[in-house]
Amino acid sequence: MSVKKTTAPLMEEITGPTPRQILRKRVTGHTGLLFGLAVVLILLFVAIFAPLLAPHDPYAQSLSSRMVSPVFLGGTWEHPLGTDHLGRDYLSRLIYGARVSLLIGAVAAAISGVIGTAMGVAAGYFGGKVDAVVTFLINVRLAMPVVLVALAVVAILGGSLQVVIGVLGLLLWDRFAVVMRASTLQVRRREYVAAAQAIGASTSRVILSEIMPNIVNNLIVIVTLEMAHAILLEAALSFLGLGVQPPTPSWGLMISEGKNMMLFEPWLVLIPGVVLFMLVLAINLMGDGLRDVTAPENRS
Amino acid sequence: MKTTFLKSTALTLALSLAAGGAALADKANDTLKVAYTKELENVDSFFNSSREGVVLQRAVWDGLIYRDPNTNEYKGNLATSWEWIDDKTLELKLREGVTFHNGAPFNADDVVATVNFVAKEENGVKTQRNVNWMDRAEKVDDYTVRIYTKKVFPAAIEFLSGPVSMYPADYYAEVGPSGMGLKPVGTGPYMVSEVVPGQHFVLKKNENYHDSPKGQPTIGTIDIRTIPDVNTQLAELFSGSIDLIWQVPSDQAEKLASMGDRFTVSNESTMRVGYLAMDAAGRSSMDPNPYKDLKVRQAVNHAIDRQALVDNLLKGKSKVVWTACFPSQFGCAQDVAQYAYDPEKAKALLAEAGYPDGFTTDFYAYRNRDYAEAISSYLNAVGIKTDFKMLQYSALRELNMKGEAPLSFQTWGSYSINDASAMVSQFFKHGSLDSTRDDQVLEALNVADSATDPDTRIEYYGKALRRIADMAFWAPMFSYNTNYVMTKEVNYTPTPDEVLRFTDMTWN
Repeated sequence: MSVKKTTAPLMEEITGPTPRQILRKRVTGHTGLLFGLAVVLILLFVAIFAPLLAPHDPYAQSLSSRMVSPVFLGGTWEHPLGTDHLGRDYLSRLIYGARVSLLIGAVAAAISGVIGTAMGVAAGYFGGKVDAVVTFLINVRLAMPVVLVALAVVAILGGSLQVVIGVLGLLLWDRFAVVMRASTLQVRRREYVAAAQAIGASTSRVILSEIMPNIVNNLIVIVTLEMAHAILLEAALSFLGLGVQPPTPSWGLMISEGKNMMLFEPWLVLIPGVVLFMLVLAINLMGDGLRDVTAPENRS
Repeated sequence: MKTTFLKSTALTLALSLAAGGAALADKANDTLKVAYTKELENVDSFFNSSREGVVLQRAVWDGLIYRDPNTNEYKGNLATSWEWIDDKTLELKLREGVTFHNGAPFNADDVVATVNFVAKEENGVKTQRNVNWMDRAEKVDDYTVRIYTKKVFPAAIEFLSGPVSMYPADYYAEVGPSGMGLKPVGTGPYMVSEVVPGQHFVLKKNENYHDSPKGQPTIGTIDIRTIPDVNTQLAELFSGSIDLIWQVPSDQAEKLASMGDRFTVSNESTMRVGYLAMDAAGRSSMDPNPYKDLKVRQAVNHAIDRQALVDNLLKGKSKVVWTACFPSQFGCAQDVAQYAYDPEKAKALLAEAGYPDGFTTDFYAYRNRDYAEAISSYLNAVGIKTDFKMLQYSALRELNMKGEAPLSFQTWGSYSINDASAMVSQFFKHGSLDSTRDDQVLEALNVADSATDPDTRIEYYGKALRRIADMAFWAPMFSYNTNYVMTKEVNYTPTPDEVLRFTDMTWN
């Protein structure tokens, strides 16, 4: 019986498409993933090559040409997306703002990812006292409202790019820890983990080469979720005047600065708002898609 | 075309609200609805330093003297005449038949009690300069008092017509500042009928108001709410649930003015002066402190295009200011050094001072974030990189008192006192807010503040102001203006001293 079961799929694999082909097919068939990936890649490209792409210096103010309308509202191509309340080119600020958003998203997600994954995997793998301590820490962290704590810390330390990244990185690890702990708990009972332990593999080897590869798809999803979360939080903090400080271009700051004129010049808020929305949506779609594509149960 | 589409959707939305809410406009109820952006700091006017409190003070209380904002002529208010008996003694004859809102009669005892209370430093009046020139008051008879000044203080008349208002002696002794804050009692044209901190307060016309140069109140009820967001204020204005707003940013005011016949937009100058204060005394922890160097301070002055700020951001009746006082104030000499906008020169000066690549500085502000941002852009352009920090007024004031802000954008409205001492002497006499601590300035100001002869005062204020400009201790920038927007039902001509005068308001 058991022999038959293992041989049958083996035969199929030999005759059917290779795993890589299957993966490619599943990626190209996933509209959400393609859309998300495209938007994120475009924005990444824009962020990296900002100095080459931006038509103007994002910091150059020209008080005599304030709040020029964007081209689709009757402006000129000199400033395709118009200018802000200090006469700075809106498109250029938007392009440079992508750097801030992506940088904060990526670094904050990386910091919290490292913290949360380490805690979660340790808790799941070792169990017992380690698990109790980690669970306690997760509960403590979950009891703290992120925005309030971030506001308080930034208010004390003063807002700057580094502080915002640090605060968000140190605050957003809870979901990593929760999910990584649960995934590790599942995986560590598998036979191959027991087998690796039986042949005398070290703890780090078991974790790194037996457990991690099997939970990494969950990690990817959380990374994307938290990245989007961090980007939104940065925008919220900057909107409240406690995030990135002017004149650094940040989408949240742009929304905040345009807010006063919202009744008369709604595009000042709409343009950065739409871009922020697109980026967050794209990252989420990308995360969803990656999970669908890489989930082990779909991998066969 | 699309511009008009987007704009018109926003406006249609607002206007459709207006159509529905037109019935709310309260001319019929004789209630004028006003919105403030900032909250009232303290109802008791001696414990307040905010503009909103100054407006309330002028409505609820009276001073002994009154300065006509249009002619600058001093007129008797609670006093009918006054006379300097000697250099330091002012004798005032009081008006008879005046009563407080609670029915108590006003007489010399109230003046004596008020002056003696506020003049004592331990009673903690918020802005000591307003009151600490008085030593004590003495009663001569029921309607004659003498006020003794500590030193010769010629600006006494101006201060008595401004921030020093008269409180009811018995009531204040009984309830104190906190009781006064809950249920204020004065002699003024309006009585406070309701105070809900953080939300609104309601003023009712004083039917028995004495024959005051302030004029008689006509509008029955004034309901003042705090609405921090300008867009919300505008939406309520459109919907008719607010009749008057002020301190409207110039961009919005322009748009409202272009909306035709619905609103009246008036612009008036104010005595408020915006300036950059620099840590010339080296009190902050910045090390090395570039602001100790004259060349750096001059570079800061040269780096900023004041005219462009006035023309494009402040607009209205704002003007470029080069002095540490408002030009109309007595003694505010205008023949001081001016620093033309010249970024190249600023860079050169920085290089000479040993900062060829500029430096990084903390930069604080508490209001007008956009002005502060524009200023920091100018500074960045010459190499002074700013680490911008926006604080609440009280927090920045505290930092300044400790001398911890190396560079800050600040403003001062002089309590609408038309005398240079209200600004330059506030900040340059080695007090805790003095960021320069220059002995020559102090010397000149000491002479000017205590001289009785107007020419001597002019000469020595001029000396102090020229020294301040030559040494570039500050970078004075511009004077503020304020936009008043009211519905067509309200008739009001603002005065240039940043005080809302409810007695001057009538229905059309």
